[in-house]
Amino acid sequence: MTEQTLKTLDRARAARQWHPVATSDDLRMRHVYHGQILGRELAVWRADDGHVNVWENRCLHRGVRLSIGINDGHELACQYHGWRYANRTAGCTYIPAHPADAPARTICNNTYPATERYGLVWTGEAPEGTAPDAPELQHAGNHLLVLRSLPVNAPLHLTAGHLADYTFYRSDHTRPATQVSTHLRRAGEFQVAVDWTDENGTSALVFFLQPTDNHRTSVHAVLATSKPPDNPLQRLKDHNFAMSLLRDRIEQAARQHPTPAAFTVASPRVSEALATLPKLAATGRKAPLRVVVKSIRDVATEIKAFELISVDTQLPTFQPGAHIDVHLANAQVRQYSLTNAPGQTDRYIIAVKREADGNGGSAFLHQSVRVGDTLAISLPRNNFPLRRDAVNTLLIAGGIGITPLLAMAQTLKSADHPFHLHYFVQDQSHAAFPQLLSTFGTHISMHTGLSPEQTRTTLANTLEGYKPASHVYLCGPAAMLSAARDLAYRMNWPDEAIHFEFFKNTTDVTTDQAFTVELARSGLTLTVESGQTLLHTLRTNGVELPSSCEQGACGTCRVGVLDGEPLHQDVYLSDAEHQRNDCLMTCVSRARSEKLVLDI
Amino acid sequence: MITLYDYELSGNCYKIRLLLSILGIKYHSHTVEFYPAAEHKAPWFRQINPLGQLPVLQDDDYTLCDSQAIMVYLASRYDSGNSWYPRDDPQRLGSVSRWLAFADSITNSASSARLVEGFFYDFDAVACRAEAHRLFRILDEHLWFNAKSGHHWIVTGDSPTIADIACFPYIMLSEEGSISRQDYPAIRRWSDHVKRIPGFTVMPGIFPAGPAQ
Repeated sequence: MTEQTLKTLDRARAARQWHPVATSDDLRMRHVYHGQILGRELAVWRADDGHVNVWENRCLHRGVRLSIGINDGHELACQYHGWRYANRTAGCTYIPAHPADAPARTICNNTYPATERYGLVWTGEAPEGTAPDAPELQHAGNHLLVLRSLPVNAPLHLTAGHLADYTFYRSDHTRPATQVSTHLRRAGEFQVAVDWTDENGTSALVFFLQPTDNHRTSVHAVLATSKPPDNPLQRLKDHNFAMSLLRDRIEQAARQHPTPAAFTVASPRVSEALATLPKLAATGRKAPLRVVVKSIRDVATEIKAFELISVDTQLPTFQPGAHIDVHLANAQVRQYSLTNAPGQTDRYIIAVKREADGNGGSAFLHQSVRVGDTLAISLPRNNFPLRRDAVNTLLIAGGIGITPLLAMAQTLKSADHPFHLHYFVQDQSHAAFPQLLSTFGTHISMHTGLSPEQTRTTLANTLEGYKPASHVYLCGPAAMLSAARDLAYRMNWPDEAIHFEFFKNTTDVTTDQAFTVELARSGLTLTVESGQTLLHTLRTNGVELPSSCEQGACGTCRVGVLDGEPLHQDVYLSDAEHQRNDCLMTCVSRARSEKLVLDI
Repeated sequence: MITLYDYELSGNCYKIRLLLSILGIKYHSHTVEFYPAAEHKAPWFRQINPLGQLPVLQDDDYTLCDSQAIMVYLASRYDSGNSWYPRDDPQRLGSVSRWLAFADSITNSASSARLVEGFFYDFDAVACRAEAHRLFRILDEHLWFNAKSGHHWIVTGDSPTIADIACFPYIMLSEEGSISRQDYPAIRRWSDHVKRIPGFTVMPGIFPAGPAQ
């Protein structure tokens, strides 16, 4: 015993191993488990889709424990300021203090790998290989029973030493309890296995030791029997009683020695920048992600849904309203909104309508892309963020414009926020994702086969009676969108309550006139020639800017205007925003005045 | 009309506010400044409760002190479903009394450690914490086996009793006395169930639960 008690844990080596952190049963739905490995505290939670998340137990914002947070089945919300983090990615999806903004992708908590084996949840700081084998539990036909795990206030090696001579009392209703001695099969650093034979055949008990900290250990135990246990609850009680007595002895023994110091654990640094919204990174139109088409299905007349999964890594966090650029083999780039529900972070789902008059992007996806194909896509980008603090939210979709609103509707429904979705379609067969739509129950109104005039009347009825703290989100064909937007203004909806996303710019964009731009921060003065875009001119002169649709619809390439009058030509900004002349879209906007001064 | 002599940061007063809220009973709260004024030791208050302890309940001309006793009274008088204090079931009723006594032990340990840290009381905090951990181990084991048999509450049965409310506050406030609940996963899961009881209300230091599935 003495030698073992003096042995200490090699933390660096243990950090490369898998350790049990809880039983699978500990992770009840909508619960957050408070775990710890090697001194590092962990928030462990199961999402409604079954995925087990093991995260650093601190909110990136102010360091509050996430184990007291709220697991809503899809996201984990911090109790302090309500920052929400997505299932799987741990990326931040919403910051209540900035309800109108999309959190930057860089706001992401530390995650640790997780797996389930033998009824236990395993994790580690940087584990190699797979969770360890326990040969006693592998026999086909064995019946496994996960016992109640016991935390012990003693170092791991001291605890392991005591488990080697495990005995217990087998209780029965008919006769007094009988003592059962076991014999040791193996004693490893993190596993001890014992077995015995009685009238019920051979049983093996494997103890898995969790190095909670340098001075604290949790003992998980799995019982394997050749026959199903006759009275499982009694067996659980027998072993719980024996293990509790043993724990008393172990803790008494531990008190004979000085308590080893707790591990010091480096926590991820919480930068001040994370407390506010970081600036957008300056990048061009890039497609860093490779995804594989997992399935293609018809979800309405002329509309196919594409399910995209990652080739190797976790797909980045998205928020409702986000879109991705899809780079197609015919050298076209198209934007598609993610229709995903919150927490559905193992795939991206986009829906593509085959446009008869489109210039090939949708036709290519419909005809040429097959299940198993690899596509290059951008990181998700959100220029259509959803507020979650509205008293009421109206979602108005026309045709394929339903896609970002599906993600929003699912988010609002999951959080039980009041909302209503109005979906305008040609006829019922054109309504995308009918099954999903049916889950919205009384929160959805279908408007089918309306003439433009009827559509206008319905929109007017829908938008009537603005109440403070209501928000409306619009997405659909340009004509309907402009009509809805104008109606909303006329009915006294304030600017900041009207949110919309065009999926294309149908106005005639001119590039005729050359003009001069002065870049206030870069100190450059450039001439944009006729036939060139401002975006192109900036890039060829080394000014990096993010962009996405490059047709004045998505808002990604927006920059501030300090002086001069822009010729906007975009459909992203509202009329009021156009009149303010304080920003423009570099992909389509030009100058009415001779010169523009830009805030870049 | 019910008047509750109340202090917001008191777990024992919170037990009564919680039960009143769950039973949907209207009441008037009369704040007694426990700290720093020590109003509960003032002569006017000791005329109401000679023990000088909070809470005290007045229901018209009936006055009652002691949080567990007040819960027995409120549940017996106002719970028409007869489920919070199950007078018709001798075994469950016996168990309720057993856990009310256990709740007093939690108050004498976990709450005392919190009084040392937050209110500058002169108790042996180390002994208080050790005793609280001993009690939490017993309750965690009890709740773990109850849950294995499909029961969520402290006293076996389909619905919660005042025993759950009696134990809840000072367990949930234990970290204010440096008593971690990390080692008690069954207690942590039980607390989610308590927080989802319709009518549940919070107090400073106790957070709400998310929606059930």
